[in-house]
Amino acid sequence: MNEQKHIREEVEKTLESLNGIQRAAANPYLFTRIEARLEKEERSFWSRALTFISRPSVAVPAIVLTILINTAIFFEFKSEKVQTPQDEEQVFASEYNLSDNTIYESTIEPE
Amino acid sequence: MDEQFLIEKLRQGDEAAFREIVETWKNLVYNTALGILQNAEDAEDVTQEVFVQVFESIKTFKAESKLSTWLYRITVSKALDHLRRKKRKKRFAYIQSLFGAGGETIIEKPDFNHPGIALDNKERAAILFKAIDRLPENQKIAFTLHKVEGLSYQEISDVMKTSVSSVESLMHRAKNNLKKLLHDHYQNKD
Repeated sequence: MNEQKHIREEVEKTLESLNGIQRAAANPYLFTRIEARLEKEERSFWSRALTFISRPSVAVPAIVLTILINTAIFFEFKSEKVQTPQDEEQVFASEYNLSDNTIYESTIEPE
Repeated sequence: MDEQFLIEKLRQGDEAAFREIVETWKNLVYNTALGILQNAEDAEDVTQEVFVQVFESIKTFKAESKLSTWLYRITVSKALDHLRRKKRKKRFAYIQSLFGAGGETIIEKPDFNHPGIALDNKERAAILFKAIDRLPENQKIAFTLHKVEGLSYQEISDVMKTSVSSVESLMHRAKNNLKKLLHDHYQNKD
């Protein structure tokens, strides 16, 4: 019984031990350190940019997006009509005015 | 200098205004961080981080609340981030130690002695800080702001963006939890 009372008293005293606490003082050279930190952060802009890009939350969506764009482009081209070798020949012939079948048919006119 | 004037000057990139802000509020920030983190080096680190953020984001500060309230908010948020990072590191080190990798030994956190405590209360305060460290985050913040920084419930509610009744409830639960923790401590000690 006495022990429990003693414990309760100790608990109360401990809870009150922060009464009258004084504010702790920061380092007197804090401003100089903050200035140095700001300069360092400015210099490391590119390293921070790199860190940002390499974050999984940024890198993974970027990779997925790249894959999606590539896949979309791939299927877009695939769905276009595939030219046969014959088509290519015709295009080539029309480009160079070679649309006649042979030279014998086209140039010699009977007098 | 007037607070609003200082903020305006800092927005224009005035270094003297920034220095004035740091010198005026550095103890507020440091003491709050120290109360939450219970480690002088970590508190200094967080204090620097807080002022770096103030410098970088002063343009977004709308001055709807007092500068000190804004500073408390940034400090609490940075200190909690720091604690979470530390806990993650500790958990990782523990897992590594289970697999026999690393070799970094996990050291038990030493007793924290706040420099603003009177000598005859040091021992009891160290026990109390150890118990505070075991409270849930919100209760820890409310209790620390009230006891270490001496903020009223109204001021705490402004910092935590909650109602005064919520702060009262947090404080009530914090005190009950602390009583239980301290009771266990003294019972096991005897």
